[in-house]
Amino acid sequence: MTGIDNITLIASLLLGLGLWMLLPRGSSRGKAFGLVLTTAAMGLFAYKLFPLDDLVSDAVFYVMTAVTLVSAVGAVTMRSPVYCAIWFALTLLGTAGLFFFQGAQFLGVATIVVYAGAILVTFLFVLMLCNPEGDSLYDRLSFEAGISSITGALLVGLLTWTAAATVFGDAKAVAAKPAEGPAPIAFASSYEAQGKSILTDHHVERLGMELFTRHLLAVEVAGTLLLVALVGAVAIVAHSRPADELGPATEEGRRNA
Amino acid sequence: MLAISIEALIKIALLVGGLMTGAAYFVLLERWIAAWVQDRKGPNRVGIPLTKIKLFGLGQPLADGLKFIFKEEATPRHVDKVLFTLAPISILAAALAIYAVIPFGSVLPKDGVPGVDHQINLIVAPGIDVGMIYMFALSSIAVYGVILGGWASNSKYSLLGGLRSSAQLIAYELPMGLAIVGVVLMTGSMRLEEVIGVQASTGTWFAFSQPLGFVIFVVASFAEAARLPFDLPEAEQELVGGYHTEYAGMRLIMYLIAEFLHMITASFLIAILFLGGWHFWGITGGSSTDVTWFQAIARIVVLNVKIFAIIVFFMLARWSWPRFRFDQLMSLAWKVMLPLGLVNLVAVACLVEYQPVLESKLGSLGITAAMWAIAFVAWIAAGILAPLHSDNSARKDNFVLDAERRNRGLRPGIAGPSATGPY
Repeated sequence: MTGIDNITLIASLLLGLGLWMLLPRGSSRGKAFGLVLTTAAMGLFAYKLFPLDDLVSDAVFYVMTAVTLVSAVGAVTMRSPVYCAIWFALTLLGTAGLFFFQGAQFLGVATIVVYAGAILVTFLFVLMLCNPEGDSLYDRLSFEAGISSITGALLVGLLTWTAAATVFGDAKAVAAKPAEGPAPIAFASSYEAQGKSILTDHHVERLGMELFTRHLLAVEVAGTLLLVALVGAVAIVAHSRPADELGPATEEGRRNA
Repeated sequence: MLAISIEALIKIALLVGGLMTGAAYFVLLERWIAAWVQDRKGPNRVGIPLTKIKLFGLGQPLADGLKFIFKEEATPRHVDKVLFTLAPISILAAALAIYAVIPFGSVLPKDGVPGVDHQINLIVAPGIDVGMIYMFALSSIAVYGVILGGWASNSKYSLLGGLRSSAQLIAYELPMGLAIVGVVLMTGSMRLEEVIGVQASTGTWFAFSQPLGFVIFVVASFAEAARLPFDLPEAEQELVGGYHTEYAGMRLIMYLIAEFLHMITASFLIAILFLGGWHFWGITGGSSTDVTWFQAIARIVVLNVKIFAIIVFFMLARWSWPRFRFDQLMSLAWKVMLPLGLVNLVAVACLVEYQPVLESKLGSLGITAAMWAIAFVAWIAAGILAPLHSDNSARKDNFVLDAERRNRGLRPGIAGPSATGPY
């Protein structure tokens, strides 16, 4: 039996229930209980992952993870969209911190620049125009609360279980399915053997070299996609017809014309 | 591990202390320069407390700071209390955290400091390979302070200030990034210390070899620091105080310090990216590892003198230019600065790609001359193709309105015949 173990299962159940209680459902009853359940679930997940090696890196990792997960919960359970955005920004900062912790400096700062700096600021730009006094109906009700909380809990549970099984040596789960030696990993390790790992002092240089040699096609395709989106946006906005031909805008104007 | 931590803490203490004192005294300097430009005396009374010694008013920042600390921490009833407090904290934290990757000198001599076994690099986090993107990331976090402050204040002036500010900061980040990419292409690294190193070892500052990038960067950093003529976020005559209209006391001073820190950061970056950082011919030497004590100190002095000069330039510009209108600001960013940035980028890329060929044909002086010629031509072209309209003639958008007016049998145009004028 290589199935999911009891602790992770219980934690996922608790998380799903807690999330469902925390989501805005029109009444604020059961929120405190949902908070307790979510916290307990997080604690169980942490217990599941606990034994790392070094105390300092343990502490850093758990603080970052806690920031990320707690703010992610905040991002989906807040009523005010501005608060949701702020919590989401904090999630991104936590994620960037985790990237930094792994040595992936470029990914970390790129996460902040692209998501927190550009996308979320654009969100906020729009949200600022919404009413700061009181929330509208679609802020007070979350759509499909049940399905989304189940999905979220399942995702976190599966990820935790996989991480615990592969990285931290849950021996049985790994041994039952011997790795077939997937090609990309083998390739990556041979790459590292050649001393071409990108986690070096000249991290950005190596990363750029990887991106524009091995992954050139993907970069080009992504670039083309963005360009198409840009042209599409301009095409939607720009009217090619001169304004004079558009005719009068008001009923009164039409009558006079 | 402990030694490194202590070293880092000493650097942070030096930097934060210096920056805070600097920000306080730059306020005084700004008031002095304002007074000088407007032909009046400026603050010259406050000296040493409890004595009659005036010291040209050097005690003024201390008095201002104390006043701010003892002011009432007024929180209007209509604000969103959490974000109202969070906003100034986030903007100040981001403004300070940028200095982790900005060098404030070069290096100290090898074996120059007793008890330290490595060469001390005068930068808080010397190992970060993504310095410039980190800088960008933090300056985009600073936008949050402005937006949130504007929204949480729940006041129309603040909201308009915040909206204007976020649009302006987003718009000018692009030309700024393009100008920086030119520097990165020439350097081959995103570390600010290596940018200085390349300029010092070749002896050519990037302001000479890519003048267009320099101009774009200076203009964009004026806009990013929200200094006149780009101070629309807090245009006093229109918006009272912009996004910090509702603030008072310590939270207000956080905003004000952050604004001055933005200006100091911009000066640091202009000096480092385009004006050679700590390098000056004949004084500082060009090697970034071998230094004597004299050179090490001379480099710190040179860098600080450059920064001081740029800040004085910032302050003089404030009293020399009127503020842009918002449409002028936007058209400058998108129609002038962005295309010019692309021209600069292409020119630098060609230069880097064909360096050996060009060097043999033109010589290094010829290359510089070619870059200046490109800059000049591009500037003229931008001036012809997208002129900055400083008059109040009706904009092209008003044609819609004109058509409507004509349909209603009215005279077209708001400002009379100029509706069919320059466009």
